[in-house]
Amino acid sequence: MNNINSQAKKLKKINLKAALSLASSALLGTSVANSSEVQGKAVDEWQFDSAFLLYSEVDRVSAGEVIIAGTKGFNNDEVLTLKLTIDALTGASANGAVAQPNAQTFTRPSGNGQYVTPAGDTPLDDTFHDTRVQLNSQWTQPLTDNVTGSVGGHLSKEYDYLSLGVNGNLAYDFNRKNSTVSMGLSYFYDKFTPEGGIPKALSSMLVGDSSSPDWDSDFANTRVGDSDNKTTTDMLVGFTQVINRRMITAFNYSYSMVDGYLTDPFKIVSVLNSDGIAQDYIYESRPDKRVKQSTFMQAKYHFDNNLLNTVADVTYRYMWDDWGISSHTVDTRFTIPVKSTSYFEPHVRFYQQSAADFYQPYMDDGQARPRFVSADYRIGEMTAVTVGAKYGMLHNGENELSFRLEYYRQMPTNGGFSEPSALNSQDVYPVVEAIIAQVTYSF
Amino acid sequence: MKKIRTLKISKDTSSHHIKFNAMASACEVIIETRDRHIAQQVAECVTAEVWRVEDKFSRYDNNSVCSKINTSAGKQVSIDEETYLLLNFAEQCYQLSAGLFDISSGVLRKIWSFDALSGECKHFPTEKEVEEMVSLVNWESVVFDQNSIHLPRDMEVDFGGIGKEYAVDRAILLAKKITDVPILVNLGGDMAVTGPRLNNQAWQVAIEHPDSEALGQKQDMIIALNQGALATSGDARRYIMREGIRYGHVLNAKTGWPILGAPRSITTAAPQCIQAGILATLALLQGQDAEQFLNEQEITFWARR
Repeated sequence: MNNINSQAKKLKKINLKAALSLASSALLGTSVANSSEVQGKAVDEWQFDSAFLLYSEVDRVSAGEVIIAGTKGFNNDEVLTLKLTIDALTGASANGAVAQPNAQTFTRPSGNGQYVTPAGDTPLDDTFHDTRVQLNSQWTQPLTDNVTGSVGGHLSKEYDYLSLGVNGNLAYDFNRKNSTVSMGLSYFYDKFTPEGGIPKALSSMLVGDSSSPDWDSDFANTRVGDSDNKTTTDMLVGFTQVINRRMITAFNYSYSMVDGYLTDPFKIVSVLNSDGIAQDYIYESRPDKRVKQSTFMQAKYHFDNNLLNTVADVTYRYMWDDWGISSHTVDTRFTIPVKSTSYFEPHVRFYQQSAADFYQPYMDDGQARPRFVSADYRIGEMTAVTVGAKYGMLHNGENELSFRLEYYRQMPTNGGFSEPSALNSQDVYPVVEAIIAQVTYSF
Repeated sequence: MKKIRTLKISKDTSSHHIKFNAMASACEVIIETRDRHIAQQVAECVTAEVWRVEDKFSRYDNNSVCSKINTSAGKQVSIDEETYLLLNFAEQCYQLSAGLFDISSGVLRKIWSFDALSGECKHFPTEKEVEEMVSLVNWESVVFDQNSIHLPRDMEVDFGGIGKEYAVDRAILLAKKITDVPILVNLGGDMAVTGPRLNNQAWQVAIEHPDSEALGQKQDMIIALNQGALATSGDARRYIMREGIRYGHVLNAKTGWPILGAPRSITTAAPQCIQAGILATLALLQGQDAEQFLNEQEITFWARR
């Protein structure tokens, strides 16, 4: 009964706006249909977006992330954006070694102690925890009537990692602002100072009695230094075209050059005998250069009433690099308005990647040592799927509260490697599953 | 008495600006064109219309239709179509607000008077005074039709709550007939635009902070307006201090007493200025619940407390 009353009350309230619209149309002799548009928003006050995200892999890494971003508009359409991101990561991450029918002992990356992976389990290094603080700032302003310029800075600091970056972008509008070409340039400098130093590529992991007096000097022999760095230069050109009132499309091409230390100091590769039993673990080695290119296409379509005014957003990305990795990403979102102040947004993402040329899930002890090798599943052949949905509520036309829940499943596949007998009953390409939950509030 | 009214036209690189005074407010029109001829035409048309509405509906002007009605001493007064339409609009606002908005409530100002300089209430009325005065606030007893109105003796009507917004909408309508160039009409903070500016840019509109003349100037709020209208209700400079309690200047037409707990000002966005104005006023009349009221109505607003 109460429910019905509040429904009736609400109906009456909603009608006030419509009734006023009718009344003013009668007064001014205008048509109601023409008077439905109003677009106003505050620009000078700080607009904040805050988000809390939880990412949790089954049995592996969990991450919590807090984002607070502020945007301030100024009188001449300049916009300043500042964004602070803090994430905390804990849990276990695959060290690259393959599962075995027997327990395996590994030395921690720091050299301080060892850990044992039970028989049949994927070896995970459980010392994985870090906190990252990231600060991004961006200043955007119109340069002429048709040209918008933007510059930004980036700083990110972790316990063992420092990243600094700058970027600049230019966008040119033409064809009565229905077309935009843009180009961007960014440069990053990253410095990696892992605990325990940088391991000597392809050297054997020291395993044994860590309390022996020679341990420290033996461990030091597997190291080449305390830190290393890399630089990344990205170039991007883009084209955005408004097709009509309902449709907008975008095309991007990007070229990225990475130079320096690209190896993961925490990753190792199992060296197996002909039966498939691990004889050794060697530190991985990757080239010190990588050139990545990608093309990106996006189409956004706003359907009419018949399809509930849904906005469909479909993107496709093709990425390829000189390591032999290529990937396809299809990302689809449908934003379906629910009444006038909330929306429901299903999301599906499909990702497929081929392996790097030097990727090997394990090595054969008869095999000559290659120059480059990595068993990191992240550069192996895989398919990944994300499915989820977001529900958002608009408050006062501009404050938005939203909830997102997604399931992620990463399925590495065998890219044609033969399996020695000992691995027959092992999960060489373990599936990674994760749940992503996010709450965002914009005010 | 002949009124002396002037308007000033200036121009910058992309537009013409017209400044004039009307309805006790500073008014401006921005016409986004370099064409002086068009600007001149719009200027003359808009100012003529705004002054016409002022002359016709001002309660301070003895020759106005409003004064004619208020001095009718209970006799029937004939009215034209425009007056009828405005009364009809006021009637609907009365109904929609369940009597909170009442254009016959202007008489309450006789007992609630505010000092023009300090903003303070000069005299705090007694309960008896309020009771007597509120008996003269009763829109239900006003009878009108397309041709005439009958206002009971001693009662008054006041178009102040809708006149300025009405003038904004009228000005926009007439200006649109003259030209397609983007135009903004701002009558003392109540404003509307004909559409986005050239190059589809939004108009940047500054809404004065209620405390902007106080020490430690608070910043004005800037709103980007592409389409439609904005109206602001509330005047932080008019208030009543009584035993340490600050009463707003908004009066409850049903009780005759100030509304407690209302925001100091509310700006709302709506397709037309007259809607925005009514929504802002109705919200203020909700007192403490003003923001909740606007949220439930799904109206874009900015409230300052």
